Amino acid sequence: MNIVIRLLLVAVAVAALNTAAISQPAERGVTASEIVLGTTMPMSGPAAFWGVGVSGGMEAWLRTINDAGGIHGRRLRLVVKDDAYLPPRAVANTRESVERDAVFALVSSLGTANVFAMRDYVIESRTLWITPLASTDIWAGYRSKKYLFVTYPGYIDEGIYLTRYAAENLKAQKVAVFYQNDLYGQQGLLGVKRGIAQKNLKLVGQASYEVTDAEVTAQGQKLKESGADTVVLYATPRHGALIVREMAKLGYAPTLVSSFTLLDPIMFTLAGDAWNNVYHATYIPLPGTGDAKVDAVLATLTRVNPALARNPFNAIAGVSFIEAFLEGLRRTGPNLTKDRLVTAMETIKNWDGDMIRQVSFGPDQHQGTNRLYMVKAENKQYRKLTDWYTYPRKF
Amino acid sequence: MTQLLQYAVGGLAAGSLYALVALGIVLLYRSSRVLNFAHGDMATLATFIAFTLLARAFPFPVAIAASLAAAAALGAAFFFVILRPARESTLLGRIVITLGFALLLSGVMQLVWGSDTQTFPFPLSDTRVYRIGEVVVSEMNLGTILAGLALMGLMYLLVQRTKVGLAMRAVAQNPAAAQALGIPARRIYALTWGLASALGGAAGVLLAPVVYLDPFMMIDPFLKGFAGAVLGGMDSMPGAVVGGFLLGVAESIFAGYVSFKFKTTLAFAVIILVLMVRPEGLLGREYHRRV
Repeated sequence: MNIVIRLLLVAVAVAALNTAAISQPAERGVTASEIVLGTTMPMSGPAAFWGVGVSGGMEAWLRTINDAGGIHGRRLRLVVKDDAYLPPRAVANTRESVERDAVFALVSSLGTANVFAMRDYVIESRTLWITPLASTDIWAGYRSKKYLFVTYPGYIDEGIYLTRYAAENLKAQKVAVFYQNDLYGQQGLLGVKRGIAQKNLKLVGQASYEVTDAEVTAQGQKLKESGADTVVLYATPRHGALIVREMAKLGYAPTLVSSFTLLDPIMFTLAGDAWNNVYHATYIPLPGTGDAKVDAVLATLTRVNPALARNPFNAIAGVSFIEAFLEGLRRTGPNLTKDRLVTAMETIKNWDGDMIRQVSFGPDQHQGTNRLYMVKAENKQYRKLTDWYTYPRKF
Repeated sequence: MTQLLQYAVGGLAAGSLYALVALGIVLLYRSSRVLNFAHGDMATLATFIAFTLLARAFPFPVAIAASLAAAAALGAAFFFVILRPARESTLLGRIVITLGFALLLSGVMQLVWGSDTQTFPFPLSDTRVYRIGEVVVSEMNLGTILAGLALMGLMYLLVQRTKVGLAMRAVAQNPAAAQALGIPARRIYALTWGLASALGGAAGVLLAPVVYLDPFMMIDPFLKGFAGAVLGGMDSMPGAVVGGFLLGVAESIFAGYVSFKFKTTLAFAVIILVLMVRPEGLLGREYHRRV
């Protein structure tokens, strides 16, 4: 008799709890008035220009959207955490974002090494992940990318492209690489090596540095001794400027080719004239090159936050990382859940945002963009050199 | 051979900065037996003060002099306000206090000046170079080496040839006896702290034009300066200088001929090795305790 009553009470309790559960918000990070986003990036340290620029750009852009009423009546709130470009801190920040801040989506987590450290956790937690700022090549063959959407290039692909361009247009024969000794730089180095193999060039030198290194005098000398006619850079803004100045000091003037990560006029402030005539790849159109939409985005960002004028390209890049996601939110409509967003994102085909162009997703295609073109830095202006180059999609 | 010389010359400039930092560390260690973990941050703060004054169009010598004076005042104030009231605490306790001060300073700098990297204007150019044979040295590097040597020379004169220096050495050797002889120990300590902080500030001002100014600029040089001080002998001022220069040159040659990846590791390996094999350092005296 006692047992039957107890079982009945338990059944009633379970039913009551279930009802209570159903009346909770159905989706983490989404309320009737707000969508919460989280990111971790370097707001201090040698990569701070990236973090401050990208997060500043995203925040300013979201502010204009919120001022215009948000998306389907919901404001977007971005919680930015500083990881000083250190993988352990990035992982800890991400856990906090997912578990404590209960974000709807993680956006623009910055740093290939950082993303690599956190990817198992994020994928297993089935959290929406929008454009982690890591070489796209790390996702090839990785499992369950259902909630991952990327509109960012891969450094291997970029390295191949930069080297091929240098071989075909800059008479490159002997190539050296200055790279960060972590997954970011190593991916770039791998790309350059593949490009060298494809074009029958020679890799005559490679000089690495640690993120914590304060100076690169020995690396500069090593590169000079290699006798390379072309040096490829995969570095942070600070170390990129340091090595370029070091080479200038030693009277060594190779052709300089850089990843798009150093595509920002701040490099002229840091490196001075030594940054003239550096060749870059880029995956977005640039301000001051006749593209009205891009110029308008920059004008909006600097109006909202004048400090971004110091770091403009990183700021507009921030916008490019989340544009497709914002479009996905619009397409999902007011009834917003993770899975409904995924379905909506997968309907995006050949879509042009203000910054990001020709984004295409699909049920088996979560790599949204795969194009680059070359520019040359000249006195803080950037001159377009080629048309779009398309590399193979990996996922 | 030219290669080796070039690596060595590159290491000399870095070594000169390590030597300056090491000198400040050893100065304090000798007098108050405290390893000042806030040394790097105090140097950075002095550099930020100089940066702000230069941005307000103060003439360069004025800005530098003012920032060094501010560093000295800060060091002396730290001694009077925080360390001296804690004189009953253990040595470890006092070291932890300096660690706390370091964190406090770092936080203040980030709050006031932000974490952005800044370029520091300096009258010497980093791109104008002089050639000595096949070896290239920049104006900035040369200036750093000369300024470092000049400061070290001045310190030597002060400590060995003046009455104040004599008082400093007396207080370092035996504070109680020195006080009994009428030497104002407190003021000497404050002076020592001020001098050491000013030396650190000079290192910061010489470093910032080369590696860019931000609140974390001195973390690496502080560690390497500490390694240089250990190498040369923690209670020997000439040792600090020798250790700093040696470490700078060794690091550069190691990076060039062995591996870039372990360049910073070398400094830590040096600390461990020296403490294991010859804890008093190259020029230090063996530490005997009277029982």
